[in-house]
Amino acid sequence: MRLRVVVAAALAVALGVMAATAGASTGRQQANKLTVWLQVDAQSGWPDIVAAANQQFQSDHPGWTVDVQYQNWGDHLQKFDATLAGGNTPDVIEMGNTEMTKYMAAGAFADISSFKSNFANSANWLAGLAKSGMYGGHLYGVPYYAGSRVVTYRTDAWSKAGIKALPTSLSQFTSDLSKLASANKGTQGFSPVYIAGTDWYYAMSFVYDYGGSIAYTHAHKWVGNLDSKASIAGLTAWKNFWLAASKASKTSNEGNPAPYDIFSQGGAGAIIGPGWFSCCTGTKYKSVTAQFVMPSHVRGKAMPGFLGGSDLAVPAPSSNKALAADWIKDFTSTSSERGFQAKGNIPNATNLLGSSVNERAAARSWFVPAAKHWVDVENGNILRTMLSEILGGKFTVKQAATLASDNITATLNQP
Amino acid sequence: MTRRNSSRTLWNTIGVALFVVMVFPIFWMISTAFKPDDEINSRTPTWFSMHPTLSHFATAIHKPFFWVDVKNSLIVVLLTVAVAMVLSLLAAVALAKYRFTGRKLFIVLMIGIQMLPGVGLIIPLYVVLARYHQVNTLTGVIITYLTFALPFSVWTLRGFVLGIPKDLEEAAMVDGSSRLGAFLRILLPLVAPGLVATSVFAFITSWNEYIFARILLNDQGKQTATVWLSYFLGTSKNTDWGGLMAGSTLVAIPVVVFFLLIQRRIAFGLTAGAVRG
Amino acid sequence: MPYGLILPVVVVLGAILGYPIYSLVRLSLQQYGLFELIRHQGRYVGLHNFGLVLHDPVFWHTVVRTIIFTIANVGLTMVIGTLTALLLVRVSAWVRILLTAGLVLVWAMPPVVAVQVWNWMTNYQNGVLNYVLTELHVGNFFHHDWYATTFSQLGIVTVLIVWGALPFVIITVYAALSQVPAELVEAAEIDGARPWRVFLDVTMPVIRPVLLILTSLSILWDFGVFTQPYLLIGQPAIHPGNYLMAIYLFEEGYFKNDYGRGAAISLLMLVIVAAMSVVYVRKMVRIGEVQ
Repeated sequence: MRLRVVVAAALAVALGVMAATAGASTGRQQANKLTVWLQVDAQSGWPDIVAAANQQFQSDHPGWTVDVQYQNWGDHLQKFDATLAGGNTPDVIEMGNTEMTKYMAAGAFADISSFKSNFANSANWLAGLAKSGMYGGHLYGVPYYAGSRVVTYRTDAWSKAGIKALPTSLSQFTSDLSKLASANKGTQGFSPVYIAGTDWYYAMSFVYDYGGSIAYTHAHKWVGNLDSKASIAGLTAWKNFWLAASKASKTSNEGNPAPYDIFSQGGAGAIIGPGWFSCCTGTKYKSVTAQFVMPSHVRGKAMPGFLGGSDLAVPAPSSNKALAADWIKDFTSTSSERGFQAKGNIPNATNLLGSSVNERAAARSWFVPAAKHWVDVENGNILRTMLSEILGGKFTVKQAATLASDNITATLNQP
Repeated sequence: MTRRNSSRTLWNTIGVALFVVMVFPIFWMISTAFKPDDEINSRTPTWFSMHPTLSHFATAIHKPFFWVDVKNSLIVVLLTVAVAMVLSLLAAVALAKYRFTGRKLFIVLMIGIQMLPGVGLIIPLYVVLARYHQVNTLTGVIITYLTFALPFSVWTLRGFVLGIPKDLEEAAMVDGSSRLGAFLRILLPLVAPGLVATSVFAFITSWNEYIFARILLNDQGKQTATVWLSYFLGTSKNTDWGGLMAGSTLVAIPVVVFFLLIQRRIAFGLTAGAVRG
Repeated sequence: MPYGLILPVVVVLGAILGYPIYSLVRLSLQQYGLFELIRHQGRYVGLHNFGLVLHDPVFWHTVVRTIIFTIANVGLTMVIGTLTALLLVRVSAWVRILLTAGLVLVWAMPPVVAVQVWNWMTNYQNGVLNYVLTELHVGNFFHHDWYATTFSQLGIVTVLIVWGALPFVIITVYAALSQVPAELVEAAEIDGARPWRVFLDVTMPVIRPVLLILTSLSILWDFGVFTQPYLLIGQPAIHPGNYLMAIYLFEEGYFKNDYGRGAAISLLMLVIVAAMSVVYVRKMVRIGEVQ
């Protein structure tokens, strides 16, 4: 009997708590609240710009508040999928440019073509970024910011190795590698240029530099192109460069370990990656960190760099589409873009471009195939597997490239 | 007597060796929390820091929403464990001591539910909770954790109830006036070790759960401690490893406290009494 | 009477899991991708999803790989766990407290953090494991890549999982051992019985239900493990050659937004796990019947 009382009491307490907290619950959007999903890069990188945009929006629309919720790259798409299923999507969402096509093809975003003229500098948007937000001739994503890839190097290590001038061609860079290697024979495991084994962003730059590509369309079907002669030439050049340059694990990826950590430990003469790598090269080498654009195999030209970036889109189920577009306008205004640029990013329009190494590298860039199922190729690690097979000697370049190309054709042509 | 002592020394040595091996990663985590950044990223690993620092702990504590999220975790987990223990003990007793139709089905369901891959349930569960307006609420998370904790707790407690020697059972039935009430009074001390193991398991699993908490809770003020931890890893640039390790050390403290409280109060003291008879 | 006792559990589970389970079955019979998710409307395709999965050689390779993985993990966990619980009975009180405290600390570590620490320890560049092995002259492990082959990857994952699973098993078996009547053990020892016989005749019958529970649960958990292998191997290194079942489910079903296929794989996983643990489950159900 006493026990029954205890049980009843416990349940009553639980129900009481539920009732009390239920009042604060919201399954639907609250009236006059705009929900925005940005990645944590904004929270740590430019919170002031976010605050300014919110301020502008709130003064233009009295009675409205903006709720910015920060997401991680690792699980933001799974969260987004859950909200699409549950019918409570945010009003604005930041998407990676390679993530856009799949969602645009599925109708996840609202058509904001009619708002295009409101967005600052929309006539001059960077071609590579703008393309990622268009589908079937309509606008679904507004370019937010971009980043290219550059070489970050240690001026002290390079001058000690007797390198007098920065390389202007791949062959010159290759001879610089051997100078760096012999000057640092005493450091076990030293990489003249530290590059992760499966860094496909870098490897594909070689493919595009030699005139190849990942895939192209023909008669409404995708055709994998890594097995073409040009692509194979590019991959072979990459393989030879990598084996001479890097002592990284052949199965490692460019996120783990972070190349700038290797740099800061004194394990590399240079690293290749986004321009902001220069922020984190450690106290010891901070004063001797500098950057230059990766040279092409053709003297005097730059190797095409991968143009990464983010777009801002309005999910289709949102009930505040016009307001969402207005917030995007405030967040991508010219002053905001200047702000992103000051933090080391590439702004979204050509008329805003400066001459930092990062922005110069963006002048010659490549982008992934604009296919609905491209994300599946990335997530399926088809390119990474190919690269580690080549480096490990499991397959020849031709064999590995043919396997990957067939795989890509099959994946991209799924219904 | 001497033989007992020497074998005891042997057992003690093995025990300590096992302790060292098991605890090494924990030691590594805590030692990293005290290292300055350049030692964390050094080329050769350092065992103990030459210049230990408390800065990572300060960063962790001052990181936004630390206290709020820890509080949320405590609310969610304590309620889940309390409700789960009461409900599952009742069900376990019913299963172990009574015969009724549907009993076998219920038992099989308890283990069958646990065979469902959690990954597959995320989206349908989210849709159900959205329908009840329990998304972005602590109660939604509590209910979710209960559905994981209950089958496990019922299944495990039933095993402990079954393990009670028959003569003690019979003694309980003779003594009591009302079958159920007296039975439970005698039963509780005997099942206590099972309750300890089950409640600690429910506590830890709920405390460390990440995926559902991440998907269900949007407001940073409503999130749990594990979601708070993930923000150390979130940015593309320059993860704060020292901060993450310090934060993880802090987040682990309530679990250890809970276990110490529970185990001293219930398990070992009471069972000594029961076995004496 | 008994119905009243189990009613609360049935209500909670039914209210929350009823729809998801029904939805899982329904989804497995539909074409349901991102397109359908947004419109909340699927297209009925019968057993097409099941056919796709069962005809996929990756599915079968993954099943075999996961079964072997599960046997290794469960075996190591239960054997080491039970032996350590027996050890706990025999050590001095201070060692017992030390070891228990250590086990709780291990148990309390969130999987995400544990993976991160193990990642560092087994790091190619500056991992403690490589450093110690080289210093102890076990061999030259400088820049040894523990993640170069599938076997090595899954081996490290096994060590991580067993390490994380041991505390629960040890503490639970130790709790069960405390129910063993001390007088019976002493009586048997006085009679001159060897430790092995004492264990089999006196201890085992008491802890048998608990061992069966732990084994059946370990099979479930190790077969369906997701977080540790996914984070330790790392998403960029995951590919069909090193898939475990839960990762295969996540990648082919949810990552690629093919929810119908994901549901079909979930149900097939359920069937396989049930088949693997049916022996233990039946024993558990039957133990109750004897009363």
